[in-house]
Amino acid sequence: MSEIISQSVLRGLAAEWIAGGKSVAGPARVKPDLVLYRTLRSGDDLLLEGFQRPSNSIKDFLFPKAEKLYGYKIHGNSIELIENDSPEPAQVIIAARPCDAAALPILDHVFNWDFHDEFYNRRRAATTVVTLACSAHDENCFCTSVGLDPGSERGSDAILFALGSGQYEVRCATEKGHALFDGKTEKSERTGKAIAGPEKRFDAKAVRAFVTTHFEDPFWNEHALTCIGCGTCAFSCPACHCFDIVDAGPAAGNARVKTWDSCQFSTFTAHASGHNPRPVQATRQRQRILHKFAIYPEKFGEILCTGCGNCARNCPVGLGVLSVATEINHG
Amino acid sequence: MDNVYKPDLMEVTRIRQETPDVKSVSLRFLDSERARNFSFRVGQFGIFSAFGYGESTFNICSSSNWKDHIEFCFRKVGRVTEALWKIEEKDVVGFRGPYGNGYPMEAWKGRDLIFLGGGIAMPPIRCAVWYALENRADYGEITVVYGARTVADLVFLDELDEWSKAERVRIIRCVDPGGETPDWKGEIGFVPHVFERAQVAAKDPVVLVIGPPIMIKNTLPILDKMGVKPASVYTSIENRMKCGIGKCGRCNVGPIYVCKEGPVLTMEQLQGLPADY
Repeated sequence: MSEIISQSVLRGLAAEWIAGGKSVAGPARVKPDLVLYRTLRSGDDLLLEGFQRPSNSIKDFLFPKAEKLYGYKIHGNSIELIENDSPEPAQVIIAARPCDAAALPILDHVFNWDFHDEFYNRRRAATTVVTLACSAHDENCFCTSVGLDPGSERGSDAILFALGSGQYEVRCATEKGHALFDGKTEKSERTGKAIAGPEKRFDAKAVRAFVTTHFEDPFWNEHALTCIGCGTCAFSCPACHCFDIVDAGPAAGNARVKTWDSCQFSTFTAHASGHNPRPVQATRQRQRILHKFAIYPEKFGEILCTGCGNCARNCPVGLGVLSVATEINHG
Repeated sequence: MDNVYKPDLMEVTRIRQETPDVKSVSLRFLDSERARNFSFRVGQFGIFSAFGYGESTFNICSSSNWKDHIEFCFRKVGRVTEALWKIEEKDVVGFRGPYGNGYPMEAWKGRDLIFLGGGIAMPPIRCAVWYALENRADYGEITVVYGARTVADLVFLDELDEWSKAERVRIIRCVDPGGETPDWKGEIGFVPHVFERAQVAAKDPVVLVIGPPIMIKNTLPILDKMGVKPASVYTSIENRMKCGIGKCGRCNVGPIYVCKEGPVLTMEQLQGLPADY
């Protein structure tokens, strides 16, 4: 027996959640050729048909582009810190891709080894992730090369499998998932399954072996020749999490703010002295691949990549993890 | 909510201008309970901030035995340090920390200590020298070779004079060729060469060498000739940091996050890591 739900009931539920004060985010078509995860105003905004990988990732809703850490008031030579302790509003992310949901356990490690980042943790605790298993993939998808698949439940509180004719099987993986769907579904004999994944394109272990032994290698120069260092790969990646801490000045109300950053920017590691350990784009491209396939895995036992393909899909010059890893693996 | 990014507020109690572009600053916690409970290890660092401008990372250059205040030292080179340059006594700055591993002062007990510092690298050496002098019986011979480009660029000069009065301490000051003044009484030459000329007779010493990459590079063969093992040679890595707590993703050297597993590393550790610093 399975639990199923129709698309119209699902949209109705989303509308209920919104009306009930929850923030609901999901894929929406914002321009004819652009799909983004964004906060939905109604259940009808939710894009469920077809396959177009959103150009951003769901990390936007747990680790926002800019997050105020605290405000401060300057009175003469005294300082008053102002913290925001109001509770995080409940949030549902619906129709997340499996490769987005799988990034959340990855981010959990980063924000909780030793020091706990409660900004992230509070949002994470207030968020329920409802994943939609993939019914198609495109030429940039490579989840199967990094140990995932189009029906992966990793990081999901519930997962939907399309059954056709506007019906979905609902599988709840956590209490948060059950809290959303219990009593809203119908019993059925039908069970869904995700499509077979894209063909495996590279061996991640071989990539790790290469990057840990080829720190100085012409490969990086050749590969980075066309890179313009825009950081789009990192910003649209579900797992990239590097950030900066900056002061927003008086015009912004005086606050210290955590903002997204990227290892692709030349200023990322520049020392005050002018020395930069990563002085050229090749060294920065190398860092990105090293971090994903060697540095993070050494610390946390898994790859810092879910194979979503956004780096390649959004890159203005056609680079991305898939092409680099494939080239490393197959020469 | 426990906010790991929230700084302590600290009052500036003393400012000394060390050189035309270097100042050292003493701070005390405004929160008396925090002041009572605060402790750190020499070699650890803090993230200091000027409100309205931003945060910057500096070694805590005071000794961990000094309970009433901490000190940091900076060169005016960027936006935040320009702002810190303008602070005055009684102003309030932000402090997060202490972060990082610090020097293994316990493990160094019983050993001769050699400190080699270049330029603005004196502050992270100074805290360890003071600590060793304050626990003088725990350590063997102490040698400090400290150099800068010119006489005007040397910091904590009065303290070097004070150290040289202590027992079993040899202080060697030097400036780069051309950086001397007519009345300069110290050595002339680069730190590695001056150190080599000094023929320091240390047995199985611990060496702490901090300075520009070229200084460290030229020092290593000399230490090798003296028979000092890479595991006994320490440095403090100065990779750029933002969070200081292993999250912002920029200070790594291979798998080592400098903010958490550093900044103090041995040459033996560095030999096994990519040159990403």
